[in-house]
Amino acid sequence: MTRVANLPLKLTVILMAIILLSLPLLPACSNGTAPASSQIDSYTIADSTGDWGYPSPYAHYSRGPGYIRMSFIFETLVWKNDTEFVPQLAYEWEYDAGDNSYTFKLQENVKWHDGADFTADDVVFTYNYTKEHPYQWVDNSIVKSTEAIDKYTVKLYLSKPYAPFFQDVAGAQPILPKHIWENVTVPEEFLTPEAVIGTGPYTLADYSQEHGTYLYKANDSYYLGKPAVREIRFVKVAAEMTPAALKEGSVDSASIPAEVVADIEAAGFTVITDPPSWNGKLTINHQKEPLSSKEFRQALAYAIDRQALVQVVFRGNAVAGSPGMLPPASVWYNPDTPQYQYDPDRAKQLIEGLGYSLEDSHFVKDGQPLKLSLIAAADYKDLGQFITQQLEQVGIDIDFQTLEAKTVDARVGAWDFDLSIYGHGGIFDPSILQRMTIGEGFNSARYTANAELTQLLNAQLTEMDTAKRKDMVFRIQELYAEDMPALTLYYPKSYWAHDGSLPLYYTMDGIAVGVPIPLNRMCFVD
Amino acid sequence: MTGKRSLTTYGIAFLFILALNFFLPRMMPGNPLAAIYGDEALVAMTPALKAHLVARFALDQPLWQQFAAYISTLFRGDMGWSYFYNSPVLKVILGSLPWTLLVVGTSLVISTLLGIVLGIESGWRRGSKTDRALLTGLMSLNGFPDFFLGLVLLIVFGVLLGVAPLSGALTPYSGLSGLALVLDVLKHMALPVAALTAAYLAGGYLLTRNTMITVLKSPFMLTARAKGLSQRVLKYRHAGRNSMLPVLTMTGIWLGRVVTGALFVELVFAYPGVGQLTYQALLARDYPVIQGVFLMVAISVLVVNFAVDLLYPRLDPRVSYAR
Repeated sequence: MTRVANLPLKLTVILMAIILLSLPLLPACSNGTAPASSQIDSYTIADSTGDWGYPSPYAHYSRGPGYIRMSFIFETLVWKNDTEFVPQLAYEWEYDAGDNSYTFKLQENVKWHDGADFTADDVVFTYNYTKEHPYQWVDNSIVKSTEAIDKYTVKLYLSKPYAPFFQDVAGAQPILPKHIWENVTVPEEFLTPEAVIGTGPYTLADYSQEHGTYLYKANDSYYLGKPAVREIRFVKVAAEMTPAALKEGSVDSASIPAEVVADIEAAGFTVITDPPSWNGKLTINHQKEPLSSKEFRQALAYAIDRQALVQVVFRGNAVAGSPGMLPPASVWYNPDTPQYQYDPDRAKQLIEGLGYSLEDSHFVKDGQPLKLSLIAAADYKDLGQFITQQLEQVGIDIDFQTLEAKTVDARVGAWDFDLSIYGHGGIFDPSILQRMTIGEGFNSARYTANAELTQLLNAQLTEMDTAKRKDMVFRIQELYAEDMPALTLYYPKSYWAHDGSLPLYYTMDGIAVGVPIPLNRMCFVD
Repeated sequence: MTGKRSLTTYGIAFLFILALNFFLPRMMPGNPLAAIYGDEALVAMTPALKAHLVARFALDQPLWQQFAAYISTLFRGDMGWSYFYNSPVLKVILGSLPWTLLVVGTSLVISTLLGIVLGIESGWRRGSKTDRALLTGLMSLNGFPDFFLGLVLLIVFGVLLGVAPLSGALTPYSGLSGLALVLDVLKHMALPVAALTAAYLAGGYLLTRNTMITVLKSPFMLTARAKGLSQRVLKYRHAGRNSMLPVLTMTGIWLGRVVTGALFVELVFAYPGVGQLTYQALLARDYPVIQGVFLMVAISVLVVNFAVDLLYPRLDPRVSYAR
């Protein structure tokens, strides 16, 4: 054989390698957490990803499980349990509308893990340091300045009133020890044992990136009580093997798939379900005919049976979406939000009202058939097929295409689509309504056509009176449902199994800015 | 000799791969920085970091200068920066590589040796009961993908019998050391190695057996027999050695794939190798790591092919004459 003839063979081999690399992969991902009570020796939490980064604020990966692993070590000024904000490093606080500031009274008996005293200086330092080195999870720009009134009192001045201040900032910003971080110039590369000195109930004993494991030890001098577990282990177990690992006893706590809930409960485990935290939505190009008509968008809502959708596509493991975006379980939910219950005839009437006529059970206008494209990432294939079928039943031709996720994002961002399926987390505090309606990101509806809606979305952010804010948010949901810049289709449910030795719960509005994982560190303290 | 020409061919292939690796993310729609790092990373990026990255990739310069910058950083051993892991790509990959080499290397050695021995024995006794049993058994095994075999093994030995660990490369925080630790690692690798060995075995076996049958018919075998050589020498030294060539090629191809060869098996067993890393990188859209792994696979395929090319004439001098 000659060399020249050999070249295509080599290329074939290379191509084979490329093809093998790009084979579609089995989707599977979940998160894990741990429980404890009255002195448990060790508690093991499994997770199918394992590695979420070194648990310092600047080194953990920018996903919820990374924040959770960091939160066992570092604490915030205030924290949340399942129903309310609770004291943490600050035991008392007060808002002064006059100078738009919060005054926090700090706990006086708190020590850093290395024995140094925690004081107001650490808080002032943290808020200044994060201005220079932004922490990925908290946008501190709302805090104008910080002042230590005395050793244990600190005052934070806001640049303007900001309703979700606790949710987004005070309850999420981990406080750093000044004596350690003041000399750190590149916090992302600060990966020594000093980088994980906090005030929390646990200290880090080991972290392995390649094995995806973490070992935490109890901090016995913790100021809010005795840690209930001597040792917490985070380990990596493939999602498919998690039920077996729970039953075998090598894991005490983990996220489980819906299919095994009954089986795991029968084996004596406690299974808890999260409140809705993810908004699965139909994104609508409201800049383009005929989708620019509000009636047409409402017709889409009437045409898609969201109850059937959660039964068929999610086998009941989801909650049907409310057109006001916020889920019925939310304290901010307006029960009078228009629901657009499934009514294909009403959908047809609305479309006919726009000049279309049904011919051969397809809508036509001026000789042109009504045809829309629907694009979505491959993950949404079943959902896309369901929606296609439902819309075609009322007479709208749908051209459904699954594309690479990135391409979908880019096309939605550039308004190069008719309909798309997407979603986002964090549907807790109403600030999400503002971000996802008039925000600039590609997964926001970017809808500013309704002046009242836009005004209210901005105004509720700065309304510090909760009752007044609630009124605004109620009105927003009605307007949002009426204008329908996007349609919430479903809220997926997830399940968490644990051995019951610790009182695990889902934190109100998620941990910190909204992590929907039931591993609140306070469950691990007596 | 054709060494020079062959090197040129490999050089061209290598440049082609580099170009592919360079142009693909830049051909994606939107901002190249977003294509390289993912939108999510960009949102969290500070303007200073963005400026730094633009400078690093020379994104503000003409395409050919960007390519030159890319090549020069690559030759300095810089495969890029993983924003997700907040660490150099090379370091991330090297952390997972030993575990993959351990599992895939072990299975490759076992399956190749076993495949050759079984192939020689089977071919020698063509048509016998042993031959037919081996052929049927291994052919059916060949029909299953490695991850399926892995799942079956895991369900039987891990879940039902409870004799094998369910995941990982070692028991986390067991406090084991020395011999106990080695045993623990061996215990964890037993099932993945078994699954991969079973999946690789049939290929080597079938190739050896087929070549063996052809070789046995050649005139030199008759001569060898006529010389009165012992059966063992006939079987292994004369027929066997000549049947190994195709297996060598095949093992070469597999060896090049070592890096990602166990992707599915690693996922099934939550084994901390490069396959697992690749999968996580895909989930997180960590493009620098995906590209790094891709480059590594491509380079190892090239290197192994080159090595096989060099080894071939030693095993079979006819190859050089054919040129």
